[in-house]
This record gives sequence, C-alpha cells and structure tokens, in this order.
Amino acid sequence: MGSAFDTFRKLGPASFVLKAIVFVIAADVLLLAFILLRRTYRKWYFANRDARMLAIRLKWEALISGEIPYAAWRTKPSERQLIETMVLDAYEVANPEESARLLKFMRASGLVEKRILEARHHQGWRRHKALVALARTRAPEGIRALAEGLRDRDSETRLAALRGLGRMACPEAAKEILNWVDDAGLLVPALPLQSALVQTCAERPQVLLPHLHHANTTVREVLGRVLGEVATPSLAPELLRFADDDLPELRAAAARGLSYLKPGAAVTVLSELAKDAVWFVRLRAIVSLGELRHPTVLPFLLHGLTDSNRLVRLRAAEGLVDFRKELLTIFERVVALRDQYGLHAFLTALENAGLQASLVAEIKGSTGSRETHETLLQVLGTGKLSSEPPALQENVLAKAASRS
Amino acid sequence: MIHFLDWANHTLFYYYLASNLAYLTMLVVALRTSAGHLRRLESVRFDWIKASPMVPPVTLLVPAHNEEQFICTAVRNLLDLDYPELEVIVINDGSTDKTLQIMQKEFSLRLVRAVYVPQVRSAPIRGLYRSDTNVRLLVVDKEPAGSKADAINAGLNAATSPYACVVDADSVLERDALLRIMVPILADPDRVVAAGGIIRVLNGSEIEGGRIRRVRLARKSIEVIQVVEYLRAFLIGRESWARGNMLMIVSGAFGMFRTDLVRAVGGFRSSAIGEDFDLVVRLHRNLLEKGADYRIEFVPDPVCWTEVPSDLRSLGRQRARWQKGLLDVLWSNRDMLFRPRYGRIGYLALPYLWLFELLAPVIEITGFATVWLAAVCGVLSWTFCLQFLLFGYGFATVISIGSVLQEELTYKRYNDWQDVARLVSYCFLEHFPYRQMHMIWRLQGLWQYLRGDMAWRPLKRQGQVDTEKTGSSPLPAS
Repeated sequence: MGSAFDTFRKLGPASFVLKAIVFVIAADVLLLAFILLRRTYRKWYFANRDARMLAIRLKWEALISGEIPYAAWRTKPSERQLIETMVLDAYEVANPEESARLLKFMRASGLVEKRILEARHHQGWRRHKALVALARTRAPEGIRALAEGLRDRDSETRLAALRGLGRMACPEAAKEILNWVDDAGLLVPALPLQSALVQTCAERPQVLLPHLHHANTTVREVLGRVLGEVATPSLAPELLRFADDDLPELRAAAARGLSYLKPGAAVTVLSELAKDAVWFVRLRAIVSLGELRHPTVLPFLLHGLTDSNRLVRLRAAEGLVDFRKELLTIFERVVALRDQYGLHAFLTALENAGLQASLVAEIKGSTGSRETHETLLQVLGTGKLSSEPPALQENVLAKAASRS
Repeated sequence: MIHFLDWANHTLFYYYLASNLAYLTMLVVALRTSAGHLRRLESVRFDWIKASPMVPPVTLLVPAHNEEQFICTAVRNLLDLDYPELEVIVINDGSTDKTLQIMQKEFSLRLVRAVYVPQVRSAPIRGLYRSDTNVRLLVVDKEPAGSKADAINAGLNAATSPYACVVDADSVLERDALLRIMVPILADPDRVVAAGGIIRVLNGSEIEGGRIRRVRLARKSIEVIQVVEYLRAFLIGRESWARGNMLMIVSGAFGMFRTDLVRAVGGFRSSAIGEDFDLVVRLHRNLLEKGADYRIEFVPDPVCWTEVPSDLRSLGRQRARWQKGLLDVLWSNRDMLFRPRYGRIGYLALPYLWLFELLAPVIEITGFATVWLAAVCGVLSWTFCLQFLLFGYGFATVISIGSVLQEELTYKRYNDWQDVARLVSYCFLEHFPYRQMHMIWRLQGLWQYLRGDMAWRPLKRQGQVDTEKTGSSPLPAS
C-alpha cells in the first residue's frame, strides 16, 4: 500500500507544499496537545503537592523533633524534597533558637550529609542545585564540599559554590576561597568574588593579610577592595603599611582603615593620601578625614573642595558640613577659596543636610561687617562667587587665616 | 510579464520560507536559553543579593511629560522596589499640567544644587529638587524639547550611579524587577554593559495602587493579538538574539545600561525616532570599534507591564512610528553592514533587520499582489496558490503557538485556562487579516519617513495606568 505522500507526489509541483501543510498542521496539533497535557499534569501535580505539604505541616512538630522516624520519609525522594524545601524556607526566617533546632533536624535526618554527598559526586545542574541547598543550610560541615565546587569546570557551578561560601559568612569559608584564588587565580568575575569575600571576612579581616603579600596584581586589586570594605580598628596598624603600596586599591583600603586610628597618627598619612594621583584613593582619604571629625583635618577637607573629581569635592563638602559649630568660619574659608566648583559642592552638601537656614541665621547674627554679611548672604543665595571688591576678599581671607 | 511573475513568486516563496525558518531556529534557541536561565536562577537567592555589600547602585530615570494623574503612584512604587542602592530621578520634561506641583506637595520637594554635570546634550534645566521625605528621590525640572531622549539625557547628567535604568512613568515594574535584571550584570559586571527586561501587556490585568493584583488577558481582540506579538518578540526574538550576543534593542520602557558607556556615546539621540534601538546600535558600534569583550543581555523574568493601544488607529500610528524608527536607525548605521570589524552584528543581526523587518512589508505586500496576479493570469494554478497561502499561514501559526508554549514552559503569567485558550486561538486569528493590516501600517511608516514626515501622532490609551505615553518599541515582530 502506497504512502499518503505517493498521492501527493502525483499532484506535481504542489506536492511539496502539501507535505509542508501536513507538517505544519501536525506541528500545531502537537504543540496544542503538549500545552493542554502539561497544564493538566501541572494542575494535578500542584494540587497533590499542596495536599502533601498540608499533611506535613500538620505533623510538623513531630517531624522536626524526630518523633516520626527519619526513615519513614527519607527514602521517598519526593517526600524528602518537599520536607527539605519547607525546612530550608523556615530556616531562613527563623530566630536563632529555631534555627538551631532546624539545623539539628537537618543534621540528624542526614539531609545535610546527603547534600554534601550530592555536591561532591554529581555533575552539572544537579551539583549546582546541591551546592545551593547546602549553602542555604549554612552548616559549617558543608564548607569543604562547597570549596570543591569552586574547582568545577563549569563557571555557573563555580559561581554557585562561591555564592554559597559567601552565604556561610565565616572565616573558614574565606580561607577556602582565598586558597582557591591563590591556586587558580581569578576564574570568576571580580564582583561575585569580592561580594563573597566581604561577607566571609567581615568577622576576621586578618585572614586577608597573608594573601595580599604574594598574590598577583589582579587578585591583589580585588583583595585590596575587600580589605577596604572590611577593615576594622584592630587592623589599622597593619593598614599603615599599605599606605605607600604600588596598588591604588591597597592605598585606598589603607585610607579607609585609617579612619579608625587616633587623629594624630592618621591625619599625617591621610593628608598625604588625599593628594594621591588616583581619584578613588583621594576619595577614601577625604572620607576618612571627614570621619575623624577633628579640627586638624579642616585644611585638608578645604583642599579637597578644590579637587578635580566631583565625588571627592562632594565628600569633602560633606565632611566640612559635619563641623556644625564652625559652619560660618568654614563657609567664609570656602568663599575665600574662590573655587566655583568647591562652592557648588559645599552648598549642595549644606542643602542636603538641611543647614542652609541655620547658616543664614548665623551670618545675620555674627559680629562681622555689614558688607561681609551681604557678600556671604549673596554667595549663599545665588551660589555664585561675585566679583567682590578686593578689600573685602582680603578681609575674608585674613579672617579665615587668623581662625585657622 | 509571465517571467517576472514567476520570478516574484519564487522570491516570495523562499523569502517566506527563510523568514519562518529563521523564527523556528530562534524558537529552538530561545527554549534552550530559557531553560538554562531558569536553572541558573536556582543558584541566585535574591535575598542574598539584597544583603550583599557589593551591589552597585542603580539610578532609575523616569521621564515624565504631563503625568499628573499617575506620577505620585508611579514614583512611590519605584521607591518601593526591592533594591538596596537605589536612586530615582524623575525628569519633568516641560509638563504643562501640574506634574511638578503635585510631586512637590506629595514628596516635599525643595530646590537644591545637586550635582548636575551636562556631559550629554539636553535642553536647559530649570531646577533640581530633592525630596525631604525620601532622599533617594531627585526631580529634574527641564525645558521641553519634545523628545523622550532629551529628558533621559537630562536624567543621565544628574545620575550618580554606575548603572542607569530607564523606566516609563506609566509602566508598572514588578517589585523584584531590578534585582532580577541585575543578575547577569552582577555575575559578570566587566562584560555585561546593558540588560533589557521583558515588556508585557498590561491591558486587562487588575491593578491596585499602581501594582498588578491579578494578571488577566485583555478583552479586546486587538489587545490579545498584541500579547501574542509581544511574547513572540521578547520570548523568542530577543531571547535568541541575546544568546548570540546580537541583541539590537533594549526597550526604552525598561532597560539597564552602564552609565559611563551611555555618556561615552553621547547619551540618547534626541532626533532619533526609536531612541532605545538607536542607543543599543551605537553601543555595539562603539564597543566593537574598540575591540571590547562585552555582552548585551536580555533577561526574561524581570517584568515591566505596559499599556498597549486598544484601537486600530492608535495601533496603526504606533507601528508606523516603529517602522520609521527602524528605517531611521538602520539607514544611519548602514556603514556597519558586512564590515568585518562589526562581526556578527554587521554580518547577521543588521542584515536580518534589513531583510526580514524593514523590507518585510514591501516584500510581503508585493508578493501577495504577484501571487494573486499570477493566479489570475494562469501562471499559477488557483489550487497551488491556495495551498501556498495555507502553508504560509500554518507555518506562522506554529511560530505563534511556539511563543505561547515558551511562555507556558517558563514564566507562565497567564494562569487562567480561559486566558490560555484565548491566547492560543488568537495565534490562528492574528495572521488574517491583522497581519496584512500590520504590513500596511508599516508600509505607511516607511512612506512617511521617505516623505520626511516625522510628526508625532498621539496614541489614545484606555487610561488603565494613565492617559498618554510616548511609546517604547519592542523589536518589530513578523
């Protein structure tokens, strides 16, 4: 018996088109059938899942306390998956006491062990999933398995492992990441690595220091940025060593950490860093100078107002505005700088802090000459440095110099 | 004559076959890419991103022209988005209504001297306002310049974040949309320079307080057909082009860009009709000329809901405008075609746009005419003619149903059975006579452009979110 296409062939040139029509009709029918069947299946699946979740919820306490034998559900994959999902969801929002209880349950029931095993032995997306689940448990015994995930060939799996270690937020996880970076170099984009390191090094930033000495330039840059984020007062003396490092990231990290030192020691180094050739080093130094809130930093902050970078100028202005009791003096000195960009930054910071009105009141209530008051109020009101009479300008300069 | 008709029919046949095969290939690529994306998302915990100290700040740029009805709800919703480092800049583009006054009252705005560096060209600024109730809100009040691009440029000049996201004031962003669109950027910030989210049709859905309460399919046929079009354009077209790093458009209604790069190419081009498309092409050009290793990504799960035209006249105007925009950008970048330095953009993406998007209305309408003429003249048998049209129709429905399938397999926003049944039925109905009308509108757009008619014709909206918008363009879909 000939096929249906034999009939079509007899039609001549139309046969190809007819075949194509049959094909597209079949494709349409198959696609529609697939959508229909999938919808039906999903409806059943979610109704079933919902019922099972309710059943689990009703015996939740017995389940978590171990009254229900673990063997009763562990061997059923769908049941185990459901319980794990529910436990992990509860774990993420639990208070410390409840967290400890849920972690104990996950350990005792072997859920953590199972995920560790999967993270070690599976490949591809299954490993990926296991790593994510393991990270969600935040169980320290999972750190090794997560660290092994960093050495996976697939970049997505490496990222999952890295994010997971970041989630652990403990120095042990930081050590694993740092050892891996030492061995393999920068195999993931810098941002996720920095993010994971910031989370894991926050508790003990000292773990970074040994790696800063022998890492290559690219890695040192990343570690320098992390150091800048996590630096604590205890690390300040160590950071002094990096103030004249070749890498700007490390100089910036030093500048950030120095804000924790006593003003006397810090101001000298920070004032040098505030003149650095790299803008973000100057930025960090200016921010730190502002955070010191000591009168000796005022000249450097004023100098920061004349910086070529607008962010540096703005941070310097914010630092200056924090000296609320000396606002009038500072404003006079800002005007005396005769720097329009600096004045703009200062006025922006003043407005953002909502201090413009109080400065106006202070100017009006001060003992200076009427001419000086008018000049200052005009500058404050217009935001522009007028072409002042030289005498007044000198007067302001002299006054500012005498106050400094 | 007979020879010409024969030649024209063959050309139409192969053109149609190539166009649909290209879409079929894209469907397969898109299904694979979506599956990969969903798996990748399994390792991304959004609460971890929110808690991360290294998340780069983002500036939302919201151009607003006469948006007094909706602006406060829109701004409140944007300030309420899930993102740890967010700045919202609303650009009041010379509104003649009370847009600015309403915002001043609602958000306690006061005139400030915030940093404004005019790095990209825009109309003069009247003032910058900072909110006393929420310091993350800045309002740029500017002179009108008659283009959305100009307003965005003003916002870019005031933006302080490394990433800028353009959002239409009358669109509705889902709460986690920013976190989701940032996923590819956070995973590889050195290479990913821009990312676009998906635009979905708002018409028919239930809205409460400016947020989607329940997703429903629109009631009118013309709106449902646009849902199918949007699904096809985004879930198949953009997904697959982005897979090959050849995404040529990031919607102006919701797109994330690296601020420094946008500034480096001079911002959005004010004279461009399709400013979003124009920007992405210029970004490709700039980065390829520098030999940069970069990616422009499409992220299918961060959703921006937008209202689409609900009458034929407005839809026709919108599509004509998109076609003008397409021609405008393709013509001004014609030197990129088949140049080795522009790689796959010059050899594949742009030629595709020329052949299957820009020239589609010309070829299809001419083709239909010659097929009928050939049948009338007896060059082509009527049977074959009908079979040929039936085949074309069937093939096109496969692609349309494929886009619904893609939606079903992945993001499944339409949960109601009735909605899906209607969506599928419109996959069969959109190809006649809507498709032919669409081709005529696009042809009108080409004609208007060639005549130099660049006039902006307002679109009538239902006012589900607000009354009028400037219209962002998804890549025109065949």
